[in-house]
Amino acid sequence: MSAVVVSSVTKIFNQGRTDEVVALSDVDLTVGEGEFVSLIGPSGCGKSTLLRLIADLIAPTTGTVTVAGKSAGTARKEQAYGIAFQQSGLFEWRTVLKNVELPLELRGTPRAERKARAEEMLALVGLADFAGHYPAQLSGGMQQRVAIARALAVQPPLLLMDEPFGALDEMTRERLQSELLSICAKTGTSTVFVTHSISEAVFLSDRVVVMSPRPGRITASIPIELPSRDDAGRQSPLYFECITAVRQSLRGTPARSVS
Amino acid sequence: MRRALYVLIGVAVCAVLWEGYKLVGSPDGAVLLGVRVLPRADDLSMPHLWTVVERLGRPELTGGRPVWIVVVNACLFTLGITAAGFAIGALVGLVLAALMQRFRIVERGLLPYVILSQTVPLVALAPLVAGWNVLWPGWMTVALIAAYLAFFPVAVGMLRGLQSPAPAGVELMRSYASGWWRTLVKLRFPASLPYLFPALRLAGAAAVVGAVVGEISTGTRGGIGRLIIEYSREATSDPAKVYTAMLGAALLGLLVAGLVSLLELPLMRHRRHVEVVTL
Repeated sequence: MSAVVVSSVTKIFNQGRTDEVVALSDVDLTVGEGEFVSLIGPSGCGKSTLLRLIADLIAPTTGTVTVAGKSAGTARKEQAYGIAFQQSGLFEWRTVLKNVELPLELRGTPRAERKARAEEMLALVGLADFAGHYPAQLSGGMQQRVAIARALAVQPPLLLMDEPFGALDEMTRERLQSELLSICAKTGTSTVFVTHSISEAVFLSDRVVVMSPRPGRITASIPIELPSRDDAGRQSPLYFECITAVRQSLRGTPARSVS
Repeated sequence: MRRALYVLIGVAVCAVLWEGYKLVGSPDGAVLLGVRVLPRADDLSMPHLWTVVERLGRPELTGGRPVWIVVVNACLFTLGITAAGFAIGALVGLVLAALMQRFRIVERGLLPYVILSQTVPLVALAPLVAGWNVLWPGWMTVALIAAYLAFFPVAVGMLRGLQSPAPAGVELMRSYASGWWRTLVKLRFPASLPYLFPALRLAGAAAVVGAVVGEISTGTRGGIGRLIIEYSREATSDPAKVYTAMLGAALLGLLVAGLVSLLELPLMRHRRHVEVVTL
């Protein structure tokens, strides 16, 4: 079963008004189980809109979104996915641990169990020692790691990420990318990852989905098969070939298939 | 410790200004083109501070209780009314803010009237409220007038606070399948605390004013508002006396402000400035 199926989805904001915007036009997307898919494109191409549709934070104008065989609405109510945004969105009045516990708390998980799970997730993102800190005490990169731990806390089969590393510096970014990959590999999570960085998309993904704006639509879907996802992978010729392929797709020249 | 020192310095500065003006000001004040621009500095208008303090120790009337006991009792009476008014006002303000946050149409329809409510003169309103005085004791009427002033800052401040969470937080709660109530409890209410507490301080001050003015305009006996009126009738023969009552009212205001500040201590402990760990 596919983790996500988006079929012929159109999203029109402010329909019927003078400020009507066609954000997405007839989009089809399938994310396989355990697959890491990046959505890339210039701003205004509807990649965040597409992510929000999958998360059922907004409803499609036409078309259907299916998450793990269920409608997006049902999947949201069952907390079938974890989500992380560009802003960490941590609650400043809660400690790091309590922030990670939040989704478990709302699910009604018993206190001892959610504490254990949250501690486990914090260890996963390397912040076990900061459980008692408040978000304001942490740097931006650490806050983002807490947000990722929070998204993973319910051990969702699907992870949705909207430019989670967008506000971070290059070094922190690369380290978190590696961490994210190892977490996904460990947990077998399917991931939809929105980014506007070509190198980030190529390094992380099994498949890069290229989108173009006005109206937002998918123009290419480029499979990436790197020999390894580490520093060696970052330097392999294939990595640069893939980057070129994605860049060409973004510019509108027909995508060359990558061997 | 340092704060207490600043408070003392503040009091000292006020005392020096008062006595200093008495020293240099003309006893008849200053009149410019028929308009009095500086108050009279004679003993009748501005008694010496030590006269006021000394008056506190002497009996109210010959053979009566000392003035300070009368003033303290009156302040305690008014403090009770203020507390009741503050509690009612804060509760009404919170409920209104939550309703306005929940239903946009309520915000649009109600907010103008909430603001309008504060432009109605209290003195005009007080007899009206007193007219309903059939079901509750007289002090309750005054408490309602205090509540009428106190609810406003809470409603407006709390509405801002409830609307303060970033869209990311709201979307996050939605992704957790949380309804309006849980989002209110887990996100909007905690996020509103930095807005709520300044609003409560304003509400506390407003409740004191409401209680004092309410007592005067409804003729309720026993409180500090009434005492100011009673003592001011003797202002020509005993000018220091009315200042003792005013001193009491001012201290009452400070006491209420202090008590309201105490409310926030346990809740705002973690909002203090902290050092950022960089790793």
